[in-house]
Amino acid sequence: MTPKKQAERNVRKPAPPAPAAASASTEPRRPRVKATTRVAAWRDHHLYGFFSSLGRLAARPWATSLTVLMLGFALALPLLFYIAFDNARALSGGLREAREVTVFLKPSIESTAANTFAAELRKREDVEAVALKTPEEGMAEFRQLSGFGEALDILKDNPLPNVLIVTPRLPADADDPPLVTELRNDTRVDLVQYDATWRRRLSDILNFGERAVAVIAALLALATLLVIGNTVRTDVQARAEEIAVMQLIGAGRGFVRRPFLYAGLWYGLLGGLLALVVVIGAEWAIAGPLERLLASYDHALALRGLGVASAMVVIGASALLGWTGAYLATARHMAAGHPE
Amino acid sequence: MIRFDQVSKRYDSGQDALSELSFEIGAGEMVFVTGHSGAGKSTLLKLIGLVERPTRGQITVNHASLARMRRRGIPQLRRSIGMVFQDHRLLTDRTVFDNVALPLIISGTSREEIGKRVRASLDKVGLLAKEKASPMTLSAGEQQRVGIARAIVAKPPVIIADEPTGNLDPQLSAEIMNLFPEFGAVGTTVLVASHDLHLIKRIGKRVLVLDHGKLIDDFRPTMP
Repeated sequence: MTPKKQAERNVRKPAPPAPAAASASTEPRRPRVKATTRVAAWRDHHLYGFFSSLGRLAARPWATSLTVLMLGFALALPLLFYIAFDNARALSGGLREAREVTVFLKPSIESTAANTFAAELRKREDVEAVALKTPEEGMAEFRQLSGFGEALDILKDNPLPNVLIVTPRLPADADDPPLVTELRNDTRVDLVQYDATWRRRLSDILNFGERAVAVIAALLALATLLVIGNTVRTDVQARAEEIAVMQLIGAGRGFVRRPFLYAGLWYGLLGGLLALVVVIGAEWAIAGPLERLLASYDHALALRGLGVASAMVVIGASALLGWTGAYLATARHMAAGHPE
Repeated sequence: MIRFDQVSKRYDSGQDALSELSFEIGAGEMVFVTGHSGAGKSTLLKLIGLVERPTRGQITVNHASLARMRRRGIPQLRRSIGMVFQDHRLLTDRTVFDNVALPLIISGTSREEIGKRVRASLDKVGLLAKEKASPMTLSAGEQQRVGIARAIVAKPPVIIADEPTGNLDPQLSAEIMNLFPEFGAVGTTVLVASHDLHLIKRIGKRVLVLDHGKLIDDFRPTMP
């Protein structure tokens, strides 16, 4: 005998109604039952809700698929936006936060002079760090990043100047700090590159994108809630007679409601799964061309897809949305049939 | 088991369905409620199951005062009452077995126990062979028997029936009505509303007669 069957054996025999004392005549008392029996009853109720809701969905495959399709695409849209922006953020990389000032020294400045200049700068209050990049280092980096490696071998001399990379000690949003102005005016300096405005703009664009994705996601989540809520509400209406009968023969609010809540859960779950399938399909569709594009750059960039954890969150969230939608849709109806 | 104390019910429409109704039904007793249509029979039964609340007066069912019962307690009350309806109110998308099993599923009975009790209950109304049938395929009399099987399956201390033979021909009516005294015999309180005074008198149980919401007679017919 399986343990499950064993558990079912230990089941309550209905106790004869206890002769209540005449004084304490309020509500019929819950018969005292063993905890194991309670758990078994609870489990059976949930199994009932679980299977009867599945049966109801399966009984109307066409209507169910339409609802699930609608939900799947509604959920897939913000996911695709999210992935697009996640990749954009990854591509922009450290740029957003970078606040280094790149100082190209005049070609006439030798490495020793450059070192002196760097030491000078390090003493300044508003400088956090200074790194010197010699022409040799610059060439090596250029060779690696640009893809012109062989072409560079033709050059006899290294045309690159010494470069100082200065990290200023200042708030990231300062537009043109005095340090930059002074560097620009220094005679040893050929060119100062400090793209604060541009970086801030990129950051703003990405922030805007994130916010837009969040807003769209919130709206579509609401739409999901409403679609499921409305589907369940129609279902409740179609079963009004059945609900009335169940309430008359003693079904509590939870018992009547549970199959609908499970139905909402199923809608959410299936919609979430479909959304993931859509996302994976879309990723797969653009993967080829994108890979070729990325391959044309030397350093490897990979498309960041939706991770397993995010996928789980999506499924969990959509199931929760479904349950909530069904809960809201049934809340009003459940009060009927039980006069106050 | 069932006690009415100065109970009145006035519907929102202003219609007085019951006025100043007082009576008491003991445990295991079988009682008929009769009267012309609109006399208040259905209202009386609705008050017992708390489908409606009385406007005035006290009702006690199975030692519980209904006036003090809040909404949360209603399902529990109804599980102690087996209800039979004139139109049987079976769920047509389920088998006979599943219909009868419903009160047991609601009360959280184990599956093995459900199987045993449903079959015992169907056996009592003579429909054991039809457990897998759909209610739609049954005759009117058989459907009402399924309704009765559903009402008795959880062995409630009280059974109420509202015109259980309202849609049946006289012979079927007699067959159905004769099922009820059997339940009374095993300690269950049975209350049946019916306008068929002729049939009621033949069964020979206590009869409450309502007229315009008032109790005008309470008698026990002598068996012919």
